Amino acid sequence: MSGRRLVLLLAVVGLLFGIGLPAADVRAAPPPPTLTIVSPADHAVIGDGSPLVIVFAVQNFNLTEPGTAGPGPATNEGHVNVIVDGNLTAVVSKPTVVLALDSGTYQVLLRLVSDNGTPLTPDVSASINVTLTRGPATGTPRIAITYVEILYPFPGDLWGDDITISFRITNFTLVPPGRRESVPNEGRLRVLVDGLVFKDITTYEPAHFSDLPDGDHTVTMRLVDGAGEPLNPDASDSTSFRVEGEQKVAPIPDLSPYLFTAQIGLGAAIVGVLYVHDWRRKR
Amino acid sequence: MRRPRAPQGRNGSLRPRCAVVSLILLACLTAFSLSSSPARAATPSLTIVSPADGAIAGNGTPVIVHFLASDFVLVQPGRLGQVVAPNEGHLNVFVDGALARLLVQVEPIVLPLASGPHTILLRLVGNDGAPLTPDVSASLRVVATQGPAGNIPTVGIVSPKPDERTGHGVYISFQVSNFSFVEPHGQANAPNEGHVQMILDGDVMEVLAQYEPGFLVSLPDGDHVLTMRLVNNDDTPLSPDVSASITFHVTASTSATLPLVLNGGVLFLEVFILVILFLRRRKAEVRTPLPPRDEL
Repeated sequence: MSGRRLVLLLAVVGLLFGIGLPAADVRAAPPPPTLTIVSPADHAVIGDGSPLVIVFAVQNFNLTEPGTAGPGPATNEGHVNVIVDGNLTAVVSKPTVVLALDSGTYQVLLRLVSDNGTPLTPDVSASINVTLTRGPATGTPRIAITYVEILYPFPGDLWGDDITISFRITNFTLVPPGRRESVPNEGRLRVLVDGLVFKDITTYEPAHFSDLPDGDHTVTMRLVDGAGEPLNPDASDSTSFRVEGEQKVAPIPDLSPYLFTAQIGLGAAIVGVLYVHDWRRKR
Repeated sequence: MRRPRAPQGRNGSLRPRCAVVSLILLACLTAFSLSSSPARAATPSLTIVSPADGAIAGNGTPVIVHFLASDFVLVQPGRLGQVVAPNEGHLNVFVDGALARLLVQVEPIVLPLASGPHTILLRLVGNDGAPLTPDVSASLRVVATQGPAGNIPTVGIVSPKPDERTGHGVYISFQVSNFSFVEPHGQANAPNEGHVQMILDGDVMEVLAQYEPGFLVSLPDGDHVLTMRLVNNDDTPLSPDVSASITFHVTASTSATLPLVLNGGVLFLEVFILVILFLRRRKAEVRTPLPPRDEL
């Protein structure tokens, strides 16, 4: 082999080496991982008290159980930390997360972390805001007074002071006061008598009223949210009735005073008759 | 100097023989490859083992779906260096059309569902999330309920008793079986769950969604027919109808009339005594006439 040929060969080898080095670098640096929340959508409302189910997708990342990754640092292997309102809530290595949360609005953040729990560099995370409610996720709440239990003497006119009012609600769930946070389609029922708050009802049962003063009354039933504020749009219904006290109407006449007077008179007459009889006999 | 040449006749007979052998081998390889190719590309299948289609998940328990996938390898999507490969991917679970789970291994699927009918769809998808071609999926319909899954509901009135005499206010006690009370808020109907209507003389008086006595007030005097009827979440009666009826009588309260009766009784007794005294006095006067004044 001549010297010229040797130089040419070395040049070609050097050129190939120069081209090969960057190529080797590209293979050594894997593509960066990505994380996407597939479901639910941001600002979704999860209804009926269902748990929050999050489905996410990763790219260029191997999900492994914590503590099972191979030795050495790995930027494309690890698990997912689930952080709810800033608090680490779950650690998962499968693309579905099920979280049982109370009613309320939450920020859920998913973050890819390496096997030892440290966040990747750069950080790879995704977050959503979701609202959970025990009521239905959709629909407009409504309320209707169904039955007003006035039977005597005729409907709409009440003798006495006891009355029971039934109602029916739609697209709304009654719950006891909890986080005092407004979430869709759940809350309680506020009862107002003549415009004044009478009581709040948190269970589905007829509202019973006693000791109502005589006169005309209007009962309003209004749905309010967890914070006690009326819904928007307002959901309420009203009914009116008259209360007439029993003392104004006496179904059974009170004859006791007359009877008592008559008893005294008769008693005196009996005594008198006996006394007169004995007195005349003695005479 | 000429090289010695091989005999023409022998060399000429070997070439066709090699060609024939080569062709046979090629044909065999082709046939083998053709016959083995369907085994490698077997069509994946998906089967829901349980529950059965139309099953009822009672007592508010979640639905647990067991499935089998064959000729398909479930893997985590998005792994490093992953490419789309036939017969490899993951399983998407849809409930009523919404994505509910993404499974990368065969395991029971636990689905808490609200009361009512639901459709559950399982679909195999490739590593890129695209459905297989042809589509490989399986679905079933289930009905979730807070009530028991089986048996027929019943209702009975415990109090008042049939033909009982009561005052104007009456507590109504009842008993139900194979039925769960849920608060109606517009949700779908479901078997063996709902509430009870308290019906007096044909008119609904109250709706009860809790196992507590009802209370009827201001009842007028007379006979009344009380009916307790189990109804669905939307107030429609069950099919077949489940109800119980009794007749009871409302009378005036004895506490209001007792003093009147007592006073009247005493008065009557006094009049009676007075009459007796008068009669005895008159009879005594007749038997023992007074002596004349001049005899005295």
